[in-house]
Amino acid sequence: MPEGAVRSVMPLLPILFPWISLLAIAIFRRRALRLRLWLCFAGSALSFLAVIVLLPSVLDGKTYYFKLASIVEGLEISLYVDTLGYYFSLVLAFMWMLCTLYSISYIDHKQNRYFAFLAMCGSFLIGAAYSRNMFTYFIFYEMMTFGSYPLIIHEETAMARRAGYKYLVYAIGGDVLLFFAIITNYFWGGGNVNFDQWGLPTLAAASKAALLTIFSSYIAGFGVKAAIMPLHGWVPDAHPAAPSPASALLSGVILKAGAFGIMRVIFNLFGIDLMKELGVHWVVAVFACITIVLASVFALTQDNLKRRLAYSSIGQVSYIILGLTMVSRDGTLGGIMQLAHHALMKACLFLCAGVILVRTGKKNISDMKGVGYQLPVSMICFSVCALAMVGTPPSVGFITKWMLGSGAMEAGLPVYVVVLLVSSLLNAAYFLPIIYVAFFRWEGDEEGHHHPALDFNSERDPLMMVPVVILALLVVVVGIWVTVPGFPLSLASRVADLVFP
Amino acid sequence: MSGAYRHFPILMVTIPFFGAALLPFLAYLRRKAVPWASAFFLAISGGLGTFLVGKIPPGGHLSYPLGGWEPPYGIELRVDFSGYFLMMAVAGISLAAVIYSRRYIEKEVEGGRITAYYVLFLLMSASMMGFVITGDVFNLFVMMEILSISSYALVAVTGNRNAVRAAFKYLLMGAPSSIMVLLGVGLLYSVTGTLNMADLAARVGDTGYREVLIASYAILVLAFMVKAAVFPLHLWLPDAHSIAPSPISAMLSGLVVAVSAFAVARITFSVFTVHAWGLVGTTLEALAVAGAAAVLFGGIMAIYQKDFKMMIAYSTISHMGYVVLGITALNPEGITGAVYHILDHGIAKACLFMCAGNFIYRKGFRKIEQLKGAWREMPWTCFAFSLAAWSIIGLPPSAGFISKWYLVYGSVRAGKVPYAVVLLVGSILAAVYCFRVVYYMFFQPAKEGDWGERLSEAPASMSVPTWALSLATLFFGVFSYLFLDSLLKAAAQLL
Repeated sequence: MPEGAVRSVMPLLPILFPWISLLAIAIFRRRALRLRLWLCFAGSALSFLAVIVLLPSVLDGKTYYFKLASIVEGLEISLYVDTLGYYFSLVLAFMWMLCTLYSISYIDHKQNRYFAFLAMCGSFLIGAAYSRNMFTYFIFYEMMTFGSYPLIIHEETAMARRAGYKYLVYAIGGDVLLFFAIITNYFWGGGNVNFDQWGLPTLAAASKAALLTIFSSYIAGFGVKAAIMPLHGWVPDAHPAAPSPASALLSGVILKAGAFGIMRVIFNLFGIDLMKELGVHWVVAVFACITIVLASVFALTQDNLKRRLAYSSIGQVSYIILGLTMVSRDGTLGGIMQLAHHALMKACLFLCAGVILVRTGKKNISDMKGVGYQLPVSMICFSVCALAMVGTPPSVGFITKWMLGSGAMEAGLPVYVVVLLVSSLLNAAYFLPIIYVAFFRWEGDEEGHHHPALDFNSERDPLMMVPVVILALLVVVVGIWVTVPGFPLSLASRVADLVFP
Repeated sequence: MSGAYRHFPILMVTIPFFGAALLPFLAYLRRKAVPWASAFFLAISGGLGTFLVGKIPPGGHLSYPLGGWEPPYGIELRVDFSGYFLMMAVAGISLAAVIYSRRYIEKEVEGGRITAYYVLFLLMSASMMGFVITGDVFNLFVMMEILSISSYALVAVTGNRNAVRAAFKYLLMGAPSSIMVLLGVGLLYSVTGTLNMADLAARVGDTGYREVLIASYAILVLAFMVKAAVFPLHLWLPDAHSIAPSPISAMLSGLVVAVSAFAVARITFSVFTVHAWGLVGTTLEALAVAGAAAVLFGGIMAIYQKDFKMMIAYSTISHMGYVVLGITALNPEGITGAVYHILDHGIAKACLFMCAGNFIYRKGFRKIEQLKGAWREMPWTCFAFSLAAWSIIGLPPSAGFISKWYLVYGSVRAGKVPYAVVLLVGSILAAVYCFRVVYYMFFQPAKEGDWGERLSEAPASMSVPTWALSLATLFFGVFSYLFLDSLLKAAAQLL
């Protein structure tokens, strides 16, 4: 049992609640579609509630612990809510709730399969967030990986099948690397892969070659999920193929599971000091920088909206990796905050893309002339998030970039600031044309026709609009009232304090 | 009752033997009762086994002198935890397979042979149970002979041309290997003058006949490699396992080859022991290389199969490589991984063959292509297949994950990282051949006329054992902590 932790079933509840959805699906297999779907939503909402009731005590510095099983001495499957894990679970439970709500009206066929796997993945992810050791994390992570396959190929088009195939190939490769990393870590870490401390003391005694093997296997294994180039290949295919709420979750949460794993490796298994001593953090940082710039360049060339967003995600998740490998307090803080901030922005963007797809059937940016007048609310939300991605204040995107920049200066590496600025510029270059096409172009504009009137009729579906609006509002609100307890900064700074005492 | 449990191990072995002898008379009276009676005998045997839970001292063993003749003069049964664990696995999987057989066999085997089928089945199960707990090398040979002969016959039981040919091929490789076991045992006896394993262990260290011992070990390992179908001695396996009736394929693939691999561990750790490792080192290294080659070869061949029973059979070759690599890691983790892998591979493989049997029973399909869209008609079989495949790949939380963990960890601990990598590559290959089938079943549209919309699941007496086994893969994954401690202790005691 970790020091100072309270033994409690609280961590188990958010993992169990999503299974209500599966129960509902099993009971009403063919009847009561609406009720069945609403029960699915209830499962994810209860799960979010169960997470949020822990907030005050986590802010007080309490930790919770629950043992599921002890495989052998020292190797156990157990849950442990510390600040970092809680932070991830808060983000993902919230996203999961909104996306489940959105899915109710978005998904129009094979609802049973979709919602069952959606709920299962949510449950496994919360389990991963609350894992006490890498062994437990791997178990949940792996189940989540394969559980999200049916979400990606939900449309069952040839493109979706190909994307699913690619996803599996990458996932299996990554998981095998990860398995190898965990075993070697377990061996050299003296039979201990727990997250209780900030660096495994036993690991420091291992040889440098062993440490390098472990570290690089971890980074490569999680790098597949976190889409660090050149391991990003599945992302640009999977996102456009999946239904929009699923792509929102892929980008907003599932990619982050890889980044979260890297956090655990850097903070809890190796510890900042050991990583610095090993001297490979800058290699990872270079890969992250390359990813940030190249992904943005690739995004420029995409005409398919969701594909462009996917490339944008690849770049943005590498902000997290860059922040972690700067080895400075502000950089770490920025990296951790980016996990939540990017989830808010990117999920909103994908959900807007979903609205566009459902209401107008348009996938390509070049066809979206005047879409801002057809779907004013969504496109305004889209624009807000797009500007936030670029880093315009007041928004969450600005906060992240500020923190990361400050961290780079603190670490004495202004070159990272240049990378961030170039990336902002490129972000602007691929996001602003979308806004331009949506609002400043319309059918017949070159013949001098006046722009069409705003049309609010096609945005009457509250199930789809509520999540979009909430996310867009949060992007601004969290960007202004940054320090409110419960918002990312309050939790992230606690983690940063632990990492840099 | 106190102390009566001492007799249970031998009763577990003899009751099915006794049953096998009774069945022909029962068939004469009432033929319909034969399948039920066989299930009954196996259930009694397994039920007795459950009384032994907690009776085996941790890290120790129960010794039972047969007929009251004290070892080393009489035959000794030596039930340590790994032996007990495997004996229970044999009892459980056999019970599932025998229940499954009733409906399946009616269709594939002609009436007159049905009794013979069950007699052979009981002989096979009983001899396997004896095989894993015996403490006497000659007894090991006898049990193996009963096992082998009943297996040859069962492969050929349908009597069609291909089956007879496959059985003959099996016999051609199996018979010399049996003779080799006898030769190896004879050589051992010639230099030590004893057949009891514990006694042998005490004596092999200080005989002067190094060469004879080396030769006898190499011969024994080679012989058991044939029985366990370790590459490159696997040639008989794909035909025999794919052509045999599905419940027999389940037994052969899940148990028969696996207990033969376990015999290698017995010979290595209980007879030659740590002290004599100077004698066996080279052989073990060669064995490890063969095991690694088996993992890769079996996996790659499985990917290229078109017939799904053939695919599952090649997968068995790959997984026997896993077991061998666990044994040759020579540390408690590796051995635990190997023993646990014998169990979970046995369960999962038996389940896969039963699923295959369900498809054959309902549709007569044997090609992987024909499984496209199968889930509409046979969803439960397809789900069971996926669960078992999950364990074969070694994904958490199934039992396959636990054994993979220990196997890889054992290799890393032994400093044999390349073998750890081979094991991981093996699991990638397993993912390729398993996911292909799962993908066809669930995510591909059915070909015209192959599968309709109407549910037509296999009969309950076939579906229930299939499902029981597929859930068992999950059970032994989630509740692995109940067994692992004792297994590790037993393995540590072997070393």
